[in-house]
Amino acid sequence: MEKLLTTILGVVGSVGISAILFIGANMIFDLAPRHWKWFSALVGFLTTSTVFLILWANDLLLSPGTVTLIAITIGTVGGFALGMTSNRWLRFAYGAGAGMALGALAGSFSQNVFGILEDGTPVVWPARPDLQFGPLLGWTIGGALVGLAIWVLNSRQKPAYRSALFWGTVGWIVGAYMVPSLSSGTQSDAILAGTVLGFGIGALPGSKPLASALERNRVKEESRKYIFLAPAFLFIAVTLIIPTIRTLVLSLRDRRGDGFVGVENYKAIFANSNTFDLSDWRLFFTSRLFWIGAIIVLIGFVIARVRGKEIGTRIQGSPPSYATWFVGGLLLSAAALSVLRGTLFNNLWWVITVTLVATAMGLGIAVLADRAKYESAAKSIIFLPMAISFVGAGIIWRFMFQARQPTAAVPHGGQTGLLNALWVGLGELSASTWPKLIALTLVGAIAIGLTVLATKAFKDRAMGLAWSSTVALVPVVWFFYSLIVGIGGWANGRGEIILFIQNSPFNNLWLMLVLIWTQVGFTMIIFSAAIKAVPAELLEAAEVDGATESQSFWQITIPQIVPTIGVVVTTLIVLVMKVFDIVKVMTNGNFDTQVIANEMWQRAFTELNFGLGSALAVVLFIAVLPVIVLNVRRMQKAV
Amino acid sequence: MRKRRNLTKTALLLVVMALVAAACAGDAANQTPETVVVTSIVTETVTETVTETVEVEVPMADPFADTAVTVFGPESGGAEEEAMRAALDLFAAKSGIDVTYLGARDFSDQINAQAAGGNPPDIAVFPQPGKIADFAREGFILPLPSETEAVMNDNFSSAWTAFGNVDGVQYAIPTKADLKSLVWYQPARFAAAGYTVPETWDDLLSLTDTMIADGNTPWCVGIESGGATGWTFTDWVEDLTLRFEGPEYYDQWVDHSIPFNNPQMASIWQTVLDLWNTPGAVFANSGSIAATSFGDNGQPLVDGKCFMHRQASFYSAFLPEGTPAADGSEGAVDVFYFPSVGDEKPVLGAGTLVSAFRDAPEVWAVMEYFASADYADARQRFQALGKGAAVTEGVLSGFLSPNVNADLSLYAPLEQSFLDILNTADIVRFDGSDLMPSEVGAGTFWTEGTSAVNGDKTIQEALDAIEASWP
Repeated sequence: MEKLLTTILGVVGSVGISAILFIGANMIFDLAPRHWKWFSALVGFLTTSTVFLILWANDLLLSPGTVTLIAITIGTVGGFALGMTSNRWLRFAYGAGAGMALGALAGSFSQNVFGILEDGTPVVWPARPDLQFGPLLGWTIGGALVGLAIWVLNSRQKPAYRSALFWGTVGWIVGAYMVPSLSSGTQSDAILAGTVLGFGIGALPGSKPLASALERNRVKEESRKYIFLAPAFLFIAVTLIIPTIRTLVLSLRDRRGDGFVGVENYKAIFANSNTFDLSDWRLFFTSRLFWIGAIIVLIGFVIARVRGKEIGTRIQGSPPSYATWFVGGLLLSAAALSVLRGTLFNNLWWVITVTLVATAMGLGIAVLADRAKYESAAKSIIFLPMAISFVGAGIIWRFMFQARQPTAAVPHGGQTGLLNALWVGLGELSASTWPKLIALTLVGAIAIGLTVLATKAFKDRAMGLAWSSTVALVPVVWFFYSLIVGIGGWANGRGEIILFIQNSPFNNLWLMLVLIWTQVGFTMIIFSAAIKAVPAELLEAAEVDGATESQSFWQITIPQIVPTIGVVVTTLIVLVMKVFDIVKVMTNGNFDTQVIANEMWQRAFTELNFGLGSALAVVLFIAVLPVIVLNVRRMQKAV
Repeated sequence: MRKRRNLTKTALLLVVMALVAAACAGDAANQTPETVVVTSIVTETVTETVTETVEVEVPMADPFADTAVTVFGPESGGAEEEAMRAALDLFAAKSGIDVTYLGARDFSDQINAQAAGGNPPDIAVFPQPGKIADFAREGFILPLPSETEAVMNDNFSSAWTAFGNVDGVQYAIPTKADLKSLVWYQPARFAAAGYTVPETWDDLLSLTDTMIADGNTPWCVGIESGGATGWTFTDWVEDLTLRFEGPEYYDQWVDHSIPFNNPQMASIWQTVLDLWNTPGAVFANSGSIAATSFGDNGQPLVDGKCFMHRQASFYSAFLPEGTPAADGSEGAVDVFYFPSVGDEKPVLGAGTLVSAFRDAPEVWAVMEYFASADYADARQRFQALGKGAAVTEGVLSGFLSPNVNADLSLYAPLEQSFLDILNTADIVRFDGSDLMPSEVGAGTFWTEGTSAVNGDKTIQEALDAIEASWP
């Protein structure tokens, strides 16, 4: 009961406070046109109190109460003065003066209360930047130059010095507070850093002429959208923007975030063979995968050339050549990324394989299930794994891949993992007599059936059916042959297991399978909806014109769902780049299966190396960024 | 104590402690006795249901009313966690503090995230002194107050308390000891096959060869342990380093006054991997050493799929229920000393220590309980119960306490001898990886070791990577 009451009180209270804040903000901005100097004073009051309360809350001030009170007074008076003076020089003096006073105040009282001893004396820690004047000047002048450059690029609208002042101040902030160590400077350093910063910030409003009636009205009108945006922006700032900036800063600092180390962390990522390993690149050209992939891609070109000849162009893409290029490309990427090792390449391999396979399978299933008899049931089953968390999926598949030391006497060598039980069981089958004969008969019957089907289809000129049954015949015949000569894990009277999770580098593919398994449902549902949204009139018109199913799919459906493919691919890329749970659960990054997210977590939290962890996070962020930008651009276009 | 047979194979071991409160001295007359019942249910595969009633005096005036303490540690699942929980429940009932224990296999990862993220538990059970040193220097954990330190000093020898001492300040209390230089085996099976316990390293190697030649599998090895995969390998390396290179080298290696990738280290790794990679030498339950969980080796050993398993004294907690210990019966398991090279018989030890993150009277009260013989005895009693039999039957609990005031009669004779060895051996060294900085000791030493065992990297590549990661 008590809990319920406090909850209700809390909800009502927070809603009430929000409403008061919201209405209050609107009323304050209503003040702007008529009482400009009071409004200006209020802005000064709010700005300084925010800044100094933040400093106070972080224990960065000595005798914080008094200092904050003085600072707020200076800020309010400064704001008031700026709101009523129209003399240019006086305005500059008020703005810059108030800013410098505030900066010097913060600088001279900059101390960090680190803890309190048993007898009550506080342990004080200096929180002052250790200024390095060379780099500091460089940053500031560099910032000012950037400001000038922006001014030039901005078609020289505003006064040049304001742009230079603003960016120079930003440069100063970076040079004074972000680069050097923050805990070993002297008091005069802190005062200097604060004063110049205050000057920069104060001079910005100080160098503007007093707002005209038009501008005051505009402040009132323009403020509305910001008041509405403020809660959302505040939320995003706290949860997204500030952490991102902090991560960027940490990535340039040492393991505990104390000293500035420049790009050392990034260098370390590329110098470590666990994260970036090019040493085996020569093996690429000698690997079987490369040759098979290259040949398949070439076959695709041959098919395209043949098609092109038929209609009189150089090469003409068609479903068979697309399929071969797709498979060949996957094989080539596997060939490349199984020799270029390390976390970064491994992550890239994940992105390529999972994105391509999950997209293709989702599209294929959506097309095949479309208008089929048990469509919704079939789609539901494929969609089900979506409901399983990545951790759950990882654990499930770890059991599927599980191997057991084979023992001779037990069926299937005592395997408890499904895949190894099948594999060893297959070996048992091909080592047996009667079961093997029965299996051979069955597989032989299927092969004969497929052959008959293919021949008949060729006669009837149903090329799609003919070719697909021919292609399906290849693995069946291969399986028939393998059964005769022996297939599966069985030798010398005992099982032979496959270590799915331990044998690098192709154990990565088995882990990717888990993610594909969960994501195919997602891609299928999206594609299915997109296919159903293709206008029926278009398809009917094509049918009337005599287009086959295959033609109307490639010529009508695919162009219609290209935007959907884009969305699915970009969503998948972002998702796969961040893959963490599956690797964490199944291998924890052992056996050459490390990915960036897990590496980041291990560096930052297992080893408490926040610099390196943050650098990895930034690498991941930069890698995801173009995809996000692409996605947002397209979304804007769609609207 | 009352016992009765239960027909079901899987039964609940129900430990009911009816705690009858005795009224405080002052107003005993007008206060009715309070009864606190603490029920701790242990799900174990046992054939008996044991009910034990413990009567404990509970003071009425409770200075710790409405206080709670959380304890986080690496002991999770099975008898170890249940015994830890029951021992803390007992204290909770006595003191009125609400003590919660949480165990996680990937403790060493999680405690970092919790401490760095600012929401640590009140007390953590550290298996690694190296991490205690890291955390003390980071300012995460608190030095012991003088009263708590005094309680600790009454109960532990300085050899053990030293592991919780960082730069002259005491931060942690030892709570558990492990003897690592042990090989588990079944004497009856050895006798039947005509094998003798090896006395030297060469004996061990030739015994291994003999077993392979006889068609037997000598070793059970598995190094998988979730986020801590690889630590079993580091134990082998440490034990062999102590044997081949001696304690001076060992100390220099641990404190990094010699580089990690020196040639001697490479040859020790080579020795371990040569033994493991000898065809037919190792039974790995999950197909490969790197895939087999370290806890999965007890059953194959008892089943006779392998003859020897090198693992610490706590491994008895992982043996199948009701496995008799060193009593000469058919399926009994026993241990022999992991043979040495020369005349010296160095011993590798390890243990856990508790350290506090929050400064509050109830936290220090729980810490003092950890330091007391009461904890050591309660934990041992419950862990032996959790292993499915009464203490008097001499079942191995897997728990050892370094507490000098602990009641030795609660331990099986075999485990009493472990304590003797730890306390009297000439050369005792703490598990090296646990002393190294956590980047190495709980990081690359495990992961690079796993890579080398799995054949993903050569020994030199792995050693170079460890050396590069030393902070």
